[in-house]
Amino acid sequence: MNTYIALYPILTIVTGALLIILLEVFLKKEKKDYLGFIAVLFLLVSGAECIKFWNKGFSYFEGNLLLDKFALFFFLIMILTVIFITLISLKYLSLQNTDHGEYYGLLLFALSGMMIMVSSRDFLVIFLGLEVLSMASYALAGLKRNDERSSEAAIKYFLLGSFASAFLVFGIALLYGAVFSTDISTIMNFFHAETSLSLMGLTGMAFVIIGFGFKIAVVPFHMWTPDVYQGSPTPVTAFFSIGPKAAGFAVLMRIFFPFWKEAVNSEIFFHILWILSVLTMVVGNLVALRQKNVKRILAYSSIAHAGYILVAILAGDNSGLVFYLTVYLFMNIGAFSAVIALSRKGKEFLELEDYSGIGFRYPWIGATFTVFLFSLAGFPPTGGFLAKFYIFSSAVHKGLVPLVIIGVLASLISVFYYLRIIIYMYMRKPTRNVEIFSYNPALFLVLFLCLYGVLMLGIFPGNILFYIKQAVAALAF
Amino acid sequence: MNIPILSILIFLPLTGAILFIFIPREKTNLLKYLTVAVTVLTFLVALPLYFNFDGSTADPQFVETAEWIGYGINYHVGIDGISLLLVILTVFLFPIAIISSWTSIKDKIKEYLIFMLMLETGIIGVFLSLNLFLFYVFWEAMLIPMYFLIGIWGGKRKIYATVKFVLFTMFGSLLMLVAIFFLYSTYYKASGIYSLNIFDFQKLILDPGVQIWLFLAFALAFAIKIPLFPFHTWLPDAHVQAPTAGSVILAAVLLKMGAYGFLRFALPLFPDAVQKFLPLLAVLCLISIIYGALMALIQKDIKSLVAYSSVSHMGLIMLAVFSLNFEAMEGAIYQMLNHGLSTGALFLCVGILYERSHTRLIKDYGGVSKQMPVFSAFFLVCMLSSVGLPGLNGFVGEVLCLFGIFKSSHILAAIGVLTIILGAAYLLWMYQRVMQGPITNDKIKSFPDLNKREIGFLIPIIIMMFWMGIYPRPFLRKMDASVTHLLHQIKSRTSVSASVQKEEKKLITKTKEEKTEESKEKTNILLK
Repeated sequence: MNTYIALYPILTIVTGALLIILLEVFLKKEKKDYLGFIAVLFLLVSGAECIKFWNKGFSYFEGNLLLDKFALFFFLIMILTVIFITLISLKYLSLQNTDHGEYYGLLLFALSGMMIMVSSRDFLVIFLGLEVLSMASYALAGLKRNDERSSEAAIKYFLLGSFASAFLVFGIALLYGAVFSTDISTIMNFFHAETSLSLMGLTGMAFVIIGFGFKIAVVPFHMWTPDVYQGSPTPVTAFFSIGPKAAGFAVLMRIFFPFWKEAVNSEIFFHILWILSVLTMVVGNLVALRQKNVKRILAYSSIAHAGYILVAILAGDNSGLVFYLTVYLFMNIGAFSAVIALSRKGKEFLELEDYSGIGFRYPWIGATFTVFLFSLAGFPPTGGFLAKFYIFSSAVHKGLVPLVIIGVLASLISVFYYLRIIIYMYMRKPTRNVEIFSYNPALFLVLFLCLYGVLMLGIFPGNILFYIKQAVAALAF
Repeated sequence: MNIPILSILIFLPLTGAILFIFIPREKTNLLKYLTVAVTVLTFLVALPLYFNFDGSTADPQFVETAEWIGYGINYHVGIDGISLLLVILTVFLFPIAIISSWTSIKDKIKEYLIFMLMLETGIIGVFLSLNLFLFYVFWEAMLIPMYFLIGIWGGKRKIYATVKFVLFTMFGSLLMLVAIFFLYSTYYKASGIYSLNIFDFQKLILDPGVQIWLFLAFALAFAIKIPLFPFHTWLPDAHVQAPTAGSVILAAVLLKMGAYGFLRFALPLFPDAVQKFLPLLAVLCLISIIYGALMALIQKDIKSLVAYSSVSHMGLIMLAVFSLNFEAMEGAIYQMLNHGLSTGALFLCVGILYERSHTRLIKDYGGVSKQMPVFSAFFLVCMLSSVGLPGLNGFVGEVLCLFGIFKSSHILAAIGVLTIILGAAYLLWMYQRVMQGPITNDKIKSFPDLNKREIGFLIPIIIMMFWMGIYPRPFLRKMDASVTHLLHQIKSRTSVSASVQKEEKKLITKTKEEKTEESKEKTNILLK
């Protein structure tokens, strides 16, 4: 069989990206929407290929490219994310005067980078994917060229992102110096076998954690998040809050899955991650309390959610983690879609004050947004509750009771600011005249699908869990 | 019988709520009549439960189980002598609460009715769940409609009240969730099977040291809900700000969920810890009784007076529960129903007054009985039922409670009687200031007496008050077996775990001895 078959899902995406950038030159400004549809087409093809590969389990280039079920599941999550993002961007871009056709190309490039990241066990290949993702992300953040905040976001993201990349490369180099390999399993075996403490290896490992900590926005490496999230165009923010995070966590799972079991030095890293997790949950939620801008609230909430997911890494609950990410995809894209829905030509409504009385003025948007917020806050019967239930229950099972208590109390704090948005939407008289552009079928489709996803995952998650179990089982090989 | 009667009971209101989404909001009358129809239908569905319920057994009846998510998370509902009457109370009060808000809720009526129906589903679900996951889902999900009911249709400080209500309740229940995780994990470690079934957990023999923490987590969640002093501060705010129907449901049913939680989970699951904390809990109950009553005495607002009277009355109920004997337990459950009826009725009466005058301050009233003779009769009965006048329901419950408490401790009973004395004081005084004397406020002269709708929804409650006061046997009979079983469980499991503990200690000392011998041998070998 031809080796290159395994590359099909990624190649499809890259081809799509190149084609879009090429076509962009020839299309008139009014017809830029077509590029979005082309992107969706390629995404669907790639998704179909992933589904076709599900039971095959490819591994090529000496393990540098793995298409195991784990990678494929993440492919699907990410493809779904980008499809959603593309759909919610269609009208947004023309409303906010940012209708550059390259946008869709950049999204696909970012996606290809993430796909490379999750489908390898080699640090260098992972780094390659990360850089492809990052380059595309920097450009995406600065897409609103005429907006100061957007440019600020791009520069901040670029500077801090390259700083993080530098840490990561340095970490990989140090690990290579200690183990003479960049392969994750070899490195982890070294940690298992090693009897004397190798400072070089430990430092390398720590640097790798720092590098990924930046990407998944873990406190204290989160400083860039709020500004970048606020400044970027809203669909891009939605993308940042899910795509790179999912990729980062997938890599962390690949690293830590073999690590916890009997690694000699796992204790140190366990404690480090424990502290990071607590800091992320507590700081993320506490700071979110003070925010007045909805995008910033969602930014800090996404930091806090990274903290909950770290609990899953500590508990070694991989299926819980993947489930959490799946639910998080639906509820967060849903929330951002609702925020995008409240916009009109040249204007977005992002201040809390703008949301006064929205719930009764636009009942459907208000109601769906409310469901997403309740899900983010972890109320049953939404997916957000079940996701937290899995993570925290397995953490208790592992004996991490204090961590879980901190976690649930942090999520109690989060209830306050999620409810605050709902208070504005339903319990206050409208103070500002919020007129929105309401003809946006693609966006409403996404809102509906996310609503469906959040409720289904909360009430009948059976099938998804079945596939997640299969996907996670692939980690063991 | 294969009709899934409990599932119908739980999901009928929710189905109604979902259907309502598609009815245009302009058709307010259609919406209102449909809501009444749905709630009455729910009540009718629940009636056969009462008649077909076998009071001679403590096992849950009408049980339904279904595979759901797996890993112990199953759909498992059933009803026993403790939950039966509370469910009946819930479905009985909901149509009344909705009819009572017929004219008082003017805007956003559609959402209001949807939330009321969702609330009913949540409450019934809590009482019927036998799987802890399911229980927790209903327990938390129920907060959402209540949050909106207070927050949208509440009074001036509604936002403060509703956020306080949600955060207080969630604080307790999240810690309870951690305790549930712990039980879940312990059971899995002990048996190798994932389960969240209450009856499975009751078989677990837990270390008393662990029990303390688990009990504290559960007890905190339920004590906040009841509410016991010092966790009661959310209650007056929520009650005063909530719309009338919200207050009725809150006082009549939601507070009972806390007491129910103690009976269903905290007491049978952690018997050792219960024994340890009994004195503390009893003291908290006493403080609730006296503090609630004294606070009620000085309130200027009728609604917060009734709210504080709830604190006091719930204190007595919990004191009876913690007496752990048959009379007290039956009295407590019976008194829960009574309190639901009489406090619910008081809130309805206050609502009727408020609708006419738009004030709740006692000083704005006076001499209302001259203007509204029919209303004053109804109000008098409801008030006396709350005071505990013989012949009305409150008396039976309170006497049973106090008998039981007296059996376990004379001093507690002596102080507990204060509920009745002080209760009579603040309620009668309130009645006197509001209803009697000369008419001081000119507005009162324009008050119309009760209309047919108001008489209509008060009469069923009054009938129940007399019935339950004169002939309580049919109600008590249904719970005899369950209460006996519950007490048996608490007592027997305490002794079981105590004996196991002793054996364990023996084992530990033995192993220690063995170890020391081993080490001695080792040292001997080394020396050689």
